[in-house]
Amino acid sequence: MDCSTVRDAFVSGTVLPEDQVEAHLASCPQCRELYQRDAELGRNLAREVSATVAFSGDFFGQLEQKLAQETGFRAWLRSRPSGLRFLLLLLPLLVVLIATGALRHRADFAQYPLQRVLLLLTIYFVAILIAFGKELSESPRGDAFRDHWALLAFALGVPFLAAFAPATELSRQAAPSGELGCFAYGALLTLPIALLLWGFNRDDRISLRTVCLSAAALGLSANLMLELHCGNGNAEHVLLGHASLGLAWLAAWCGMRLLSRPIHLRK
Amino acid sequence: MVSVCIAWGNAGYIAPVRSDEELMAAYIAGDKAAFRELFSRYSPLLLRAMARDLRSPEEANDLVQQTFLHLHRSRLDFESGRKLKPWIFTIALNLKREYFRRSKRRYETSLEDDRVAEPFEGPRGQERSDAARETERALRALPPEHREVIELHWFGGLSFPEVAEAVGSTVAAVKVRAHRGYVALRERLGDSAPGSQRNHEAGPSVEGSK
Repeated sequence: MDCSTVRDAFVSGTVLPEDQVEAHLASCPQCRELYQRDAELGRNLAREVSATVAFSGDFFGQLEQKLAQETGFRAWLRSRPSGLRFLLLLLPLLVVLIATGALRHRADFAQYPLQRVLLLLTIYFVAILIAFGKELSESPRGDAFRDHWALLAFALGVPFLAAFAPATELSRQAAPSGELGCFAYGALLTLPIALLLWGFNRDDRISLRTVCLSAAALGLSANLMLELHCGNGNAEHVLLGHASLGLAWLAAWCGMRLLSRPIHLRK
Repeated sequence: MVSVCIAWGNAGYIAPVRSDEELMAAYIAGDKAAFRELFSRYSPLLLRAMARDLRSPEEANDLVQQTFLHLHRSRLDFESGRKLKPWIFTIALNLKREYFRRSKRRYETSLEDDRVAEPFEGPRGQERSDAARETERALRALPPEHREVIELHWFGGLSFPEVAEAVGSTVAAVKVRAHRGYVALRERLGDSAPGSQRNHEAGPSVEGSK
């Protein structure tokens, strides 16, 4: 690596392989000086800008009080390792899917091409896994890209699109009735997952990210279950009884977020 | 097990100083004193990091408490062999970002914001204090992604690899962000930039590039 490559990258902000840059800096005093200036400015900043801060009252005592309240089933749930929380979250979804799948089939399922069914199930399932994984992850949450919004838009949008997708003759002829039953069925089946998501959440104040990811996971889970069990392809029925579940869970989590808001921010 | 021994005065008392990771492992095993030690090590750093962006000390205190509560709740996620410092700062940064989203305030504060650092009680008195305020304003005017890495490195005491881990980026990328921040600072501060010829005090070092 030569000087011009290092300096061009330095000025333009291009990211170069770390070891090659370090190797070049070790052998090139001119480029090293370029980096030295930054280091010197940083050291002086740290010396010059020193914020004076103080703890209020018995700070550790207050924290100990809060830690002492960390008892009970929810405290146990939220302190489980992330891998275990992920598996526990997946368990009710799989149990419900397998159990209800074995007991209740769509009458028109055999009429659909197998590839279409598998593709749809895979898309739903992968999106649910991503939502679960992101919600439980402790990784840094940057400002730049709000991936939770994209997942929420997907979770809300796909069921709406499914309402207008080509259906079988049998499902097309179905009446728009029964949407309330489907809505209640979907909500009931996803309730255990909702409770676990709430139980696993480690924040005292529910974040917007949690609202989006939880609503996305629950909306997709409910629609996945209904997709397997309900043979009514009437657009009005699918919109009101299936697709609306994502919005309902979104509203429910927004309500929980408002309730978890600290007093001084409610003004 | 890596332990360092230090001597206390002339009494000859030798106390083992456990690393952050050893303290965390001890806390996971049930040693509550280890948590207190971690608290005493990290709370001043975290409070300073929070106080730089938040308007009220109560909010900064609250976020630091939340950070330690979160640390307690996610203690079983801490893997042996992992560094604790970037992990704590990741938790703190996530909480701080969420705080700003919730309160609908921008991460960066305006140049008109008068809540800058307390006057520096140094040998050059008022002159030094004015310079500090000016530097603080310039720092606050930086884009958040540039300011964040500079503050974590120089005020939080994290190395660049640790900063990269804390913000979820690569070492090279955080160095580029820091450099862009330094360039913008020099442009804003001109001759009064810390480390410029007028203020030149420290000798050259390659520390910042490491």
